[in-house]
Amino acid sequence: MSRTVLICDDAIFMRTMVGDILQQAGFDIVGEAETGVQAVEKYKQLKPDLVTMDIVMPDMGGIDAVREITKGDPTARILMCSAMGQQALVVEAIQAGAKDFVVKPFQPSRVLEAVQRVLAA
Amino acid sequence: MDLSRYAELFRTEAREHLAAIDEALLQLAERDATPTRDTVDALFRAMHTIKGMAGAMGYAPVEQLAHASESLLAAARDRVDHGLGASLGTAFSTLCQDAADALAGHVDDAVDGRAPRAPEAALLRRLVAHTAAWEAPRAVEATGESHVESRVESRVESRAGSHDEADAPPFGERVDELATRPLPSFAETAEFSIADVASAVRGTGSFDTDAVSHTRVVAVTFDPDAPLKAVRAQLVLTRLEALGRVQSTEPPVQSLTDRFEGELVVVVDSTEADDALEAAVRGAGDVRSVRVRSRRERQGNRESLRSVRIDLHRLDALLDLVGELVISRDRLLQVAEQSGDRQVQAAALDASRLVSALQDEILQTRLVPVGHVFDRFPRLVRDVARDLDKMITFAMEGRDIALDRSMLDAIGDPIVHLLRNAIDHGIETADEREAVGKPRAGRLVLRALRDRGSIVIAVEDDGRGIDRARVLARAQSEGRVPAEVRTLDDEALITLLAQPGFSTAATVTAVSGRGVGIDVVASRVRALGGSMEVTTEPGRGTMFALRLPVTLAIVRALLVQVGDQTYAVPAAAITEAVELDDVWAASETRTTDTVTIRDESLPLVRLCGHFGQVAGDDAGTQVIVVDVGGRRVACAVDALLGQQDIVVKPFDAVRGAAALFSGATILGDGRPALIVDVGALA
Repeated sequence: MSRTVLICDDAIFMRTMVGDILQQAGFDIVGEAETGVQAVEKYKQLKPDLVTMDIVMPDMGGIDAVREITKGDPTARILMCSAMGQQALVVEAIQAGAKDFVVKPFQPSRVLEAVQRVLAA
Repeated sequence: MDLSRYAELFRTEAREHLAAIDEALLQLAERDATPTRDTVDALFRAMHTIKGMAGAMGYAPVEQLAHASESLLAAARDRVDHGLGASLGTAFSTLCQDAADALAGHVDDAVDGRAPRAPEAALLRRLVAHTAAWEAPRAVEATGESHVESRVESRVESRAGSHDEADAPPFGERVDELATRPLPSFAETAEFSIADVASAVRGTGSFDTDAVSHTRVVAVTFDPDAPLKAVRAQLVLTRLEALGRVQSTEPPVQSLTDRFEGELVVVVDSTEADDALEAAVRGAGDVRSVRVRSRRERQGNRESLRSVRIDLHRLDALLDLVGELVISRDRLLQVAEQSGDRQVQAAALDASRLVSALQDEILQTRLVPVGHVFDRFPRLVRDVARDLDKMITFAMEGRDIALDRSMLDAIGDPIVHLLRNAIDHGIETADEREAVGKPRAGRLVLRALRDRGSIVIAVEDDGRGIDRARVLARAQSEGRVPAEVRTLDDEALITLLAQPGFSTAATVTAVSGRGVGIDVVASRVRALGGSMEVTTEPGRGTMFALRLPVTLAIVRALLVQVGDQTYAVPAAAITEAVELDDVWAASETRTTDTVTIRDESLPLVRLCGHFGQVAGDDAGTQVIVVDVGGRRVACAVDALLGQQDIVVKPFDAVRGAAALFSGATILGDGRPALIVDVGALA
């Protein structure tokens, strides 16, 4: 059975791109979220194996979403998607419970490496 | 609950923390520096842990003193946070050092069961006074420290009633105030530390080495072109925090910014193995290299940057080469001597000196702390103890003693064997122990120490001891010892135990006693050029000690001719060499199985027959006397060829032949020679 993924990003472009990378690698995209609030709701509902999480989203940012999700499920495997220059925020996200991160622009190989690490941990 | 079985564990850990305090203070003194937040943090944590452990053990004086010191450090930390670290002055390190020294004494008193004495009143007064001074409002401070200092001093003095310690009120009253003073900013630290101690002391099962954590220095290098390396560093920290307690980092956590260069050093306390830490770090991603070392190996960051990794095979090849160089040096010296040419002789001596220096240098390079092998034993001991349903307190000492790398690889199994033996046969079950008035948990100690030129590795238990009568009975029934022998001393005992096939195990268990016993250990140790000793006392315990040379690769040997072969006999074992004719001339009788040398009748072993060779004309005309663990044996050989340094090569003997030879070497002229296992001659 392929692994399930929830993709959280406010930009359709990014969701599509991340989705394509993961789909080609055999993952099952079970849901998408455009806001932190949606991310938290969908996580509870779908219980995916993996979450990719944008940092800056409207209506609750990615970091707060990480906090909310890990509060309910400390084993949640969340991969942060960050832009260069968001170092402090990524650190915060990791302290909040995110398991790894990738930096935009995405290289498929690096995304998949990070995903493997998160799933292995 | 019986706390006594945790006492040694407490001592070990407390000493580790006191050592960490010493180290931090030493660094402070060396740099003549203002204490940094990291230094004070480290001191605080160490003191805090000691306090927690002492509290759990009920060692009041230790707890009180550690508590007062901890309060001082909390105040100092607060001060450092407000940029007033410089105002702490030398009083700070002096006080910390005094407190640590006094604590060491109280720790030993407590563990050794001496009557508790109240902590030094004058020291406590100083701690309390400085704590109060440093906690005083900083605004006042800015207007003049001396003023505050004296005011507080007098306040404390008046509370104490008198300067005279004899008249001082009970210690407890003075510290009570400190004890009730909240330490709000350290609530978190306190929480997890006490939890650690509590779980360590409660112990979930019958064994407690799980609680022993070692300080490791983890050096991580990230891929240079990885993005956001500082975040990777943060991931590394998060992952290490899940496995232990991160003490400090270099660069400090706050400086993990965009400018982070990609080299991170983390000091972490953890019960996990080095491998587990390394795997966790690698899992953080973008990691180029990880190096995990014990704290004691650390010589500061500068040192770590000056070291390089070398493939072990290279190191082995280097040693082989230098070994051959040593042999050809000996030949060169010999040839030069014969040439009679002074210039050649001087040049040869020069070369010889350099070869010796090179040899030393390379042997040094190969030295590795025994901790590398020891580190896997706590888990092994725990597992074996669990399988056999024994309660064991396991301690290790001398982890930083260094041994040659290849020796280290070779002693692992013998040590495992001795540990298993001790747990299986040595240490009694908890009920048996209680019945004879011993603590329920048996104590097992693995110790490495330097003794003159050798390294001694000892496995000591406080179990039932070896039953000499039973060993003797067994040996006599097997015809190994004459029937008239009444008792066995330690030497006779180890000689017997070391004989192939001799086992006294009453039952065969899964762990040990399958007829493969101490003899295997003994032959392995002899192959390494070492010897084995045993000390045992009924009801009190047993200690097996392996005495090993620091390096094994090159040994001095006497080359002897037997038949058409050359053999090497380790020179350390040879006590003298004589001509057989002289021996026979001096004695009245000519016997073939014994010789009398200096009024001592020694068994005579004809190596020719011993090695299964056909005797030549001048067979067995020379006699060498070898000492095997106190027993002297005469060996007849055909000719003595002289002494030489030889390089010991691994020797894969066919089964059954191993008892005769402990290794092989290549002679200067390229011919191989077998190294005689002297121990097997006895």
